[in-house]
Amino acid sequence: MRIYRPSLAALLWLLGLLTLGAAGSRALTTDWLETSFLALLPATERQPEIAQAVRRHNELINGKVICLTGADSAPQAIAHAGQLKERFEQSGLFRDIRLQVDQQAFAKRHQQLFAYRYQLLDLQTRRLLQDQPEALIGRNLERLYSPLGQLEAASLERDPLLLFSRYFNAQNPGRFTLEQGVVVVQDGDRFWALLIAGLADNKLHLDNLERLRELMDGAKGQIEAAGGELLATGMPLFTAEGSHSAQREIAIVSIGSTLGILLLLLTFRSARPLLLSCLGIAASTFAALVVSILVFGKIHILTLVFGASLIGVGIDYALHYFCNSFSSADWTPAKGLKYILLGITLDLATSLVSYASLGAPPFPLLREIAFFSVVGLVGAWATVVLLFPLLLTGFKPAHQPVMLRLTDYWQRHWPAWLLRNRIWLAPVAVAAVAGGLWQLTPRDDVRLLQSASAERLAADRKIRQLLPVKADSQFFLVSGKDLQEWHQNEQVLLAHLEILKQQGSMASYDGLSRDWPHPDMQRENYRLLKRTFHETGLLKRYMAELGFDERAIDEEQQRFEAAENSSISLIEWLEGADEARKMHWLGCDAERCVSTVSLDGIKDLAALAQLKDLRGVRWVDQATQLSSLFERYRASASILLIAAYGIVLIGLGFKFGWRNALTIIAVPVLATAVSLAMLGWFDQLFSLFNLFALLLVLGIGVDYGIFFFLAEDERSSTSLAVTLSAITTLLSFGLLAGSSTAIVHAFGFTVATGISTALLLAPLVGRHGAGTRIA
Amino acid sequence: MIYLKALVLFLLTANICMADELLDQIHARLTKATITRGAFEQTKQLKVLRKPLISTGTFIYDKSRGIAWKTLSPVPSLLLISDTRLWTAQGEQPVPAAFGKVFQAMLGADLAQLAAAFDIAGAVRKVAWQVSLVPKDEMLKKVISRMQLSGDQELRMLEIFESNGNISTLHFQNIIHPDRLTAGEEADFAHLSP
Repeated sequence: MRIYRPSLAALLWLLGLLTLGAAGSRALTTDWLETSFLALLPATERQPEIAQAVRRHNELINGKVICLTGADSAPQAIAHAGQLKERFEQSGLFRDIRLQVDQQAFAKRHQQLFAYRYQLLDLQTRRLLQDQPEALIGRNLERLYSPLGQLEAASLERDPLLLFSRYFNAQNPGRFTLEQGVVVVQDGDRFWALLIAGLADNKLHLDNLERLRELMDGAKGQIEAAGGELLATGMPLFTAEGSHSAQREIAIVSIGSTLGILLLLLTFRSARPLLLSCLGIAASTFAALVVSILVFGKIHILTLVFGASLIGVGIDYALHYFCNSFSSADWTPAKGLKYILLGITLDLATSLVSYASLGAPPFPLLREIAFFSVVGLVGAWATVVLLFPLLLTGFKPAHQPVMLRLTDYWQRHWPAWLLRNRIWLAPVAVAAVAGGLWQLTPRDDVRLLQSASAERLAADRKIRQLLPVKADSQFFLVSGKDLQEWHQNEQVLLAHLEILKQQGSMASYDGLSRDWPHPDMQRENYRLLKRTFHETGLLKRYMAELGFDERAIDEEQQRFEAAENSSISLIEWLEGADEARKMHWLGCDAERCVSTVSLDGIKDLAALAQLKDLRGVRWVDQATQLSSLFERYRASASILLIAAYGIVLIGLGFKFGWRNALTIIAVPVLATAVSLAMLGWFDQLFSLFNLFALLLVLGIGVDYGIFFFLAEDERSSTSLAVTLSAITTLLSFGLLAGSSTAIVHAFGFTVATGISTALLLAPLVGRHGAGTRIA
Repeated sequence: MIYLKALVLFLLTANICMADELLDQIHARLTKATITRGAFEQTKQLKVLRKPLISTGTFIYDKSRGIAWKTLSPVPSLLLISDTRLWTAQGEQPVPAAFGKVFQAMLGADLAQLAAAFDIAGAVRKVAWQVSLVPKDEMLKKVISRMQLSGDQELRMLEIFESNGNISTLHFQNIIHPDRLTAGEEADFAHLSP
């Protein structure tokens, strides 16, 4: 009975691929690759309004690049910054590049708000007026008599109480000096000029990121050659470095794969297995890519890296098939398929179960990787089962490869040696594994995801030390059902923050309601001035004593009276505000008004986080949240890994009996234990991402166990398949251990130690030492 | 003979010279000390006020820490200026570039940095000298049109001409160069340490 027809199966495969190709031609032309680090954030569960506000906030900061150019003198620093600005302009990457403070905008802002000087009071002035209005006069005299009081003196005529210069200064605190209109920061003997630029397209396209990286490197080289320094930070730079190193890692994998290909060529002395392997991997990766994009719309670059790694199990199916051709003289593709079908199908089932379990938690990256790998593996299996029998027609290597003799020798003698020496090997191994496991400490810091260079991190730290750069991922969200309630809620929060600031919990905070009083409060401010200075005659006395003449005093009183009913709305106020302030406002919809309150120089996170209980206040701490999420998912992924082992064991138990199932599964279990122990001994990163590697170890380790268990008298060809598989895996994914990105390195290290161990243990399964017929 | 007369006249009268040379010559006359202490009298002539604002007090300059400007009358107050910071009892403010520099430069006899920020013209006699500084920075020019300094081995007078017509005049007296700060002065400067 021949139900299976190779040509029909191959046709089926081809139809499937064509369908995918048609779907893919559309999917792949869209912008499908996500490189932003922020895209890894989970949609905050059960809090869609927070998620939305966070997304807005992230969009606003996403495209900003902050640069400081340093030199021994301020003019030199400014000259460097000017060159940088020119480079930025020529690149066409940026929408707005700011070096000179826009003096016109500044003057316009001054003019716009000056009209509301009786309504807009800063916190300190307000308190002073409430508690001891007389003291305001003393403070004014101090300012006017100061050798530095030029600006105050200039506005004295129209603002004798100096209300507006107080308000305006309170909004623009800091220790910045403007030279030639450029913000210059001095740090010891070094002068730094500030340049801020916003990307034209803050969606962070891959090729733009690469251009940005080159632009920054070029500018750095140029400025350093001229004796200057360049510090730069910003989300786009971190993302650019991340995607650059991801590309490098993909290159490492392909170099390793090329070496693996050479090995295949040498072993089979035929290009067919090689081409078929490549076809299998290409087809399965293509299928995974297309289907994932169709399902998710966009996939993350990390999904590509890890997903492509997990699909690597698929090459085992092909290798097992090819190596089986060495097993007997009358081998045909149909016989071979019949022989390996059970093994690879079992393996597919176990891999699917273990990868699919990753999809359970609502973490976008995990779900993407799980889905990607599952589709890829089904593709690899389908290619081997449907297409290979046809394409292997007539394939029969006549030679006996050196590799086969080596692996056969090894599989005969190695288990025997192990068993002979088990008296001392077993205790040593147990002690080493126990010692390593004892030293294993998990690290879940989300910042490890960033593959930023030490140089970039140092620049970021230095900039944050020189400038009050707001914390990107830690802030408060304040909401209220209308403008008034929002304002009240934010005011309460700001009052608490002021206390915490005095206690040193952070360096400063910024919120809109600090600088924009609600119209009710504006009226109150006006009345406060009226009560304290005008109705008491204090203003008259103060102005007369200072030396104003009668007419000036009358004019001031008239101006005050004329301004009684004026007030400035938030929209008007925001219109002329600088971008940093505008960014705080997330807008009103039918249900609520939302703003952010930003912080910088955070020292005591716990104290800040406690303020989340205030009305309408939410504390957003993306880094810590994500780290704790990683921790929770590491824990649950560990449980899922154990569950996957359980399911695989049950499946194998039903098929082969419990005793045999335990023997087979011992291979990946011990490989996992050794891998974890090595992580402990070498003080390697242990996080969620190592668990991907351990899943790969489970999938491949079970493979090796099953293959050897089913080998019967074909152990020599099986040993070749297993060895080739292990070497190709080590060459591709083991090489990732050389990566500079902490998590990719950890992944590679875990795969390398796990697969090596699985390779060394697998020959112990089945009837080792049994005779083998070699054709 | 006419030639000789002219030469003598030239040597006797103020010799006008290039900025760098001028600064070098003033520098040669100034006392070099790490600490300078003295009294000041400041008169501010504001256009909108009928009478000038007059204040008196003391100042101390320490090369490594900066300047403490202590107004005693009519309103006691303290102002501290370092390279990068400006402190008053009312809070921190940005350092006004020109002003901080001029103070530091004159009191510390470190004139080189003045040439970078100002166009300089002036005259040097045997002991006395005077110099006028015009800001190069356009922004600063909008506030301060010119500064006039004069002195001998010390800075004696500083006049600030604001663009809007206000004029401040500072006279410095009783200048001495002690070896160290008093405990009280140390405590004042402590406000500047982070």
